[in-house]
Amino acid sequence: MTRTSMTHREKLLVALSGIFALSFAAAPQAKAMHIMEGYLPGGFCIAWGLLCLPFLLAGFFSIRKTIQENRKALILLAMSGAFIFVISSLKIPSVTGSCSHMTGTGLGAILFSPSCVSILGIIVLLFQAILLAHGGLTTLGANTFSMAIAGPFLAWGLYALLKRLKVNRRVSIFLAAALGDLFTYCVTSLQLALAYPSQEGGIAASAVKFLGVFAPTQLPLAIIEGILTVVIVIALESYAEPELKLIGYYKEAK
Amino acid sequence: MLEIDKLCYTSRLRYVNAGEKCFFSLASVILCIVSRSIPAALLLLLASTYLTVQRGGIFLGRWLKYLTLPLFFLLLSTGAILINISQVPLDAFALPVGSLYLTGSREGVFQAVQLILTALACVSALFFLSFNTPMTDILAVLESCRLPRLLIELMMLTYRFIFLLLENASSMLLSQNARLGNKDLRTSLKSRGLLASMLFIRAMRQAGSLYDAMESRCYDGQIRVLREHQPPRRGEILCIAAFELLLLLLALLPSAAPAGWIM
Repeated sequence: MTRTSMTHREKLLVALSGIFALSFAAAPQAKAMHIMEGYLPGGFCIAWGLLCLPFLLAGFFSIRKTIQENRKALILLAMSGAFIFVISSLKIPSVTGSCSHMTGTGLGAILFSPSCVSILGIIVLLFQAILLAHGGLTTLGANTFSMAIAGPFLAWGLYALLKRLKVNRRVSIFLAAALGDLFTYCVTSLQLALAYPSQEGGIAASAVKFLGVFAPTQLPLAIIEGILTVVIVIALESYAEPELKLIGYYKEAK
Repeated sequence: MLEIDKLCYTSRLRYVNAGEKCFFSLASVILCIVSRSIPAALLLLLASTYLTVQRGGIFLGRWLKYLTLPLFFLLLSTGAILINISQVPLDAFALPVGSLYLTGSREGVFQAVQLILTALACVSALFFLSFNTPMTDILAVLESCRLPRLLIELMMLTYRFIFLLLENASSMLLSQNARLGNKDLRTSLKSRGLLASMLFIRAMRQAGSLYDAMESRCYDGQIRVLREHQPPRRGEILCIAAFELLLLLLALLPSAAPAGWIM
């Protein structure tokens, strides 16, 4: 146990922990990972936008059908969109002492169906870009894909699967919300990596770098988001049954 | 509660035609992103700062505060682009960590500077739009772009409801704070859950009563509102066209990229 013989691995660990500590210090406000305006090259903006299009169209048609059947649905949907916006704009308590924001993707996907979350999501993201200066207009496609399509679809699928497997409700809500959030962060990192492949090692190395850089803020956020979603859904189920019936949450339970 | 929304109603450029403002921001952003030219980015940054602070009358300190908002994302992700982990040092800098190097090349440094400036310029153009244009005007522009009516109405209602809910949420948060509802992590998680569920209940009730009110006033599935009309002015259009041309010229200038670097 001499002090001089620090192995390479130890040095690497120290350096990495230093980087982590620095990024904590530099993170007074950890936000959900919106790609900022102007950060993606033009081709990628268009490509991600096009990739969102089928989901958005499907969402639009399903919303239009619902509204033709019941006009009140328009108001309920708008209220739900506003609800997601407000929930995601509130600061949430965080383990690291910094404050962060919820993404609301998991909650949205569990409460509403994933197809209408895509439309609500793009509206919320547009408002976030213009009113809160999170995200941007040209990166709207990429952000929509990661936050309003990939994350919610995974969360919803996982939630449905765990429900069928009769896993404990709290556990399944937690897993759906936390993993949905993590998936959003992975997809965003991948989007950044595809646009900016590393000079040494290409896209894969670059993806690892982005994942690593954002991990200190995004991992705690995912856990907090999971816990909060559990608390919210349980509270909703005990206090807001008639309202949940209104948005069709209990339709499948009957 | 939403500062940007308040600012844009006090801006002196508020009554300028919204289509012009949208075109200015979007066209400049697209030119900057496609060209990645540093002079174009600097010009756009200056122009949107001048327009917002000098012409729009937004306080400079506030403008700068908002410009530093995306800095966290910018620094972290640009750092990730700039720094490579490699066994051989590259030409710009190299920091040995064990047997590996945290290293970057000159090309990478150039690319990073270019990226930071482009992103900042684009953000400033977006801020120009959102600091000087009320959301309802932007929605009117979207409507004239032939976006489906249903979507526009959904957005209009969502925009309205955001303020209803924010007001509710902030009063609930205040009373939770007054009762030590956020004293540690555990209680704050619990009270945040309560807040969200109460907010949801109130939102749905308000939606219900709003629907009843609209129904009793002959709501037939379409919301018709009178729009304020601000026709575009010729001088403004000429200025914007001249600016975009200048931006295009700057963008077409050969950039000082190292040889072999293609974008």
